[in-house]
Amino acid sequence: MTDWNNNLPKNDDNYTHNINRNNERSLDRRGFMKTLVGAAGVFAVASLPWGTLAAKELMGLSDKEYPRQKIVDITNIAVGDSVEFHFPSEHDSAVLIRLKENKFVAYQNACTHLRCPVYWVKDQQEMVCPCHHGKFDVQTGEPTAGPPRRALPEIIVEVESNSVYAVRVKRYET
Amino acid sequence: MKRSYFGVISLCAILFMDIVFMQLLVHQYFHQNYKIVLLFMFCNIILFPIALYIYKQEINKGGQSHEKK
Repeated sequence: MTDWNNNLPKNDDNYTHNINRNNERSLDRRGFMKTLVGAAGVFAVASLPWGTLAAKELMGLSDKEYPRQKIVDITNIAVGDSVEFHFPSEHDSAVLIRLKENKFVAYQNACTHLRCPVYWVKDQQEMVCPCHHGKFDVQTGEPTAGPPRRALPEIIVEVESNSVYAVRVKRYET
Repeated sequence: MKRSYFGVISLCAILFMDIVFMQLLVHQYFHQNYKIVLLFMFCNIILFPIALYIYKQEINKGGQSHEKK
């Protein structure tokens, strides 16, 4: 009987010693391509949640609804004046400005720099934050001077039967 | 068998496009351009079957030449 110990079996029945350890971890071209395809798949899957969130935003599911809130009677606010109010909660201070006879704008007036209250300065026709002299454009809420870099969140207002109502807060936009 | 780098190079290009689209997608998401986000997501998803197709093509290429021999 032949002694097989410590000897490789012959080629035709080499079922147990067929692991080529030297090449076990080498990455051939086919394996490399397989990795690339797998990575492409990972990217495809990874983009799904972003797309889902974007679709959700597009369908407007993230717009929060608050109960309408009466701010002021039209007779109590002259053209060019402002009124402070709180919307949507009592901790969110906001300011309503009557620009023209029928044009009202409202913003949450916490400065986007360090949340100081922003005031409407009638003489300068600007919204000014007294803390660091940040200034905001009254038409859009965009910052025009000073440290703030983001716009004030706009509040949608409606005029109905001689009163001004706050309807909802516009989605924060950069 | 003559070595073909078509698959490797095109798959590398696809992966590069994947990375670029992903970057743009995330940026556009935070810029709130949600339609562009959906566009990039579609691009990223469509690139995966393309990559799979190229891979399969390359595998078959090798197989055929081997059988012919």
